[in-house]
Amino acid sequence: MRDARDLGRHDHLCWSYEDTPDFLARVREYLAEGLELGKRVRYAALGASPDDLAGITGIETALSTGAAQVTPLSDTYSGEPEEHVRAYAAATEQALADGFTGLRVAAEATPLVSTPAKLTAFLRYEHLVDRYMARRPFSAMCGYDTTVLDEHAVTQLAGVHPCANHPTPFRLHAAPGGEVVELAGEVDAASHDLLGSLLERIDVEGDLVVHAPDLAFIDHRGLLLLADSARRRERSLVLRTRAVGAARLGDLLDMPDVRVEQIP
Amino acid sequence: MNPFIHPALFYRTDQEYLAALVPFAAQGLDAGQPVAMAVPGRRLDVLRAGLGALARHVTLLDMAVEGRNPGRIIARILRRFADRHPDRHVRIVGEPIWAGRSVDEYPACAQHEALINLAFDGRDVTILCPYDLSTLSPRAVADAYVTHPVVWEGTDERTSDDYDVPGLLSRYNEPLPAPPSHAVFEVAGTADLAAARRFAVAHAGGLDRVADLELIVTELATNSLRHTGGPCRVGVWRAEGHLVCEVRDGGSLTDPLAGRRPPGRGQLSGRGLLMVNDLADLVRVHTGAAGTTFRALLRLP
Repeated sequence: MRDARDLGRHDHLCWSYEDTPDFLARVREYLAEGLELGKRVRYAALGASPDDLAGITGIETALSTGAAQVTPLSDTYSGEPEEHVRAYAAATEQALADGFTGLRVAAEATPLVSTPAKLTAFLRYEHLVDRYMARRPFSAMCGYDTTVLDEHAVTQLAGVHPCANHPTPFRLHAAPGGEVVELAGEVDAASHDLLGSLLERIDVEGDLVVHAPDLAFIDHRGLLLLADSARRRERSLVLRTRAVGAARLGDLLDMPDVRVEQIP
Repeated sequence: MNPFIHPALFYRTDQEYLAALVPFAAQGLDAGQPVAMAVPGRRLDVLRAGLGALARHVTLLDMAVEGRNPGRIIARILRRFADRHPDRHVRIVGEPIWAGRSVDEYPACAQHEALINLAFDGRDVTILCPYDLSTLSPRAVADAYVTHPVVWEGTDERTSDDYDVPGLLSRYNEPLPAPPSHAVFEVAGTADLAAARRFAVAHAGGLDRVADLELIVTELATNSLRHTGGPCRVGVWRAEGHLVCEVRDGGSLTDPLAGRRPPGRGQLSGRGLLMVNDLADLVRVHTGAAGTTFRALLRLP
């Protein structure tokens, strides 16, 4: 992934970077595309300045009319994941009421994940807000500074976004409609810890339905981790996949609360 | 006294076969004991006909299919049936060795027969193992005395003086036949597992069972990394109608029943070798101080 445009996948992007000017260039791309799509756009960062958006066509007018906003990071996040999602939901509905097609935000979120406890809470927020984005016209680009964060933190953050410029063995994010989790990539012993830790952050009502059309491989322990996550909620696991091996494992493991469904 | 009974049954004809096995089933059913019989192909037809109306009260399985890989017989046939009836004595007939077993399969079959004694020690179960003396090699018959504490033949029931489980396990823990020249991929850590899968598939030379191969190489290599803490080497080649996937590591396998125990509910680990036994048509193992070699074979169409 080289730029922040035309992403699809409910446009929830994780952008990890070493170089601030490069990150700001991606912010401008992302928000410029938002304006073209008729959305209200917002840039949030510590010390965010309207100057950071200079160069976006029509940005002065957009800033003066409220089509574009610049806010300090402290105004955007209370530290409580559910409340944070509610705030963005309200802002999205307000943007719609004001005649925009939705809300698009670019945020430099590194300070929000600077400790293990903050990271844990924010991973849960990322999961919740991803599900909201899959249902409503809200999109966000989350910037993370890799000169500050360690590799494991960045991998976890990238793993809960449908789009990321940081390589991860798999991704676990909301499926279109926001009702089920989508899993893509490969799950083996290299990623069991990551999967286990991300599964602890997710919150699904009902059975754990994992939509996995782009899951290329999962080993038996990966499947058991998914099953265990469902079981701890006293629910069943449904894995919808094209991966032939996953169906073989489902048969061999023969667990009543695990169903592997082959999708075309 | 050990309630586990593990006789070898020697027979030469269909008549002798049925004269022993039909009463074995009938007496068990009369006593309210569950009965399962896993015998290969044509023998299953003979047995079904001989059982007549009793057949519908007996769990009948084709050993040539269910137990093609002898490494899965204990978990998937014997324990699966016995564990379903923990409150009663259970009778099982298991015929894992027949004349059609290949020279590659035979050592794994003999090891399986020996391991039954460890897997069922103390269990209230009878496992009767028929041996067809009219077709089996002298070695297979001699080994039956080593792997079974008692031998039944006609009306004769004798104790085996040659019964020696550790001796047999040691004798068949033999270096595996030298492979043909083949490509090797070193797995230094879990980050290499995805590349190991691609290596195995690329060197398989076209295969219907790609998913099985990917799972086998991943589970074997993961098992090696986890239990040895060191690297392992993956090799793939074709030989004698099989695709062979080998994983060598520097550890030694100390648990002879590894990969042969059914998992407990909710158990998240210890299933890797069990999965490999389920997926492969044969698994051969050689272990020693210098390291352990696993070979999983997939039969080619």
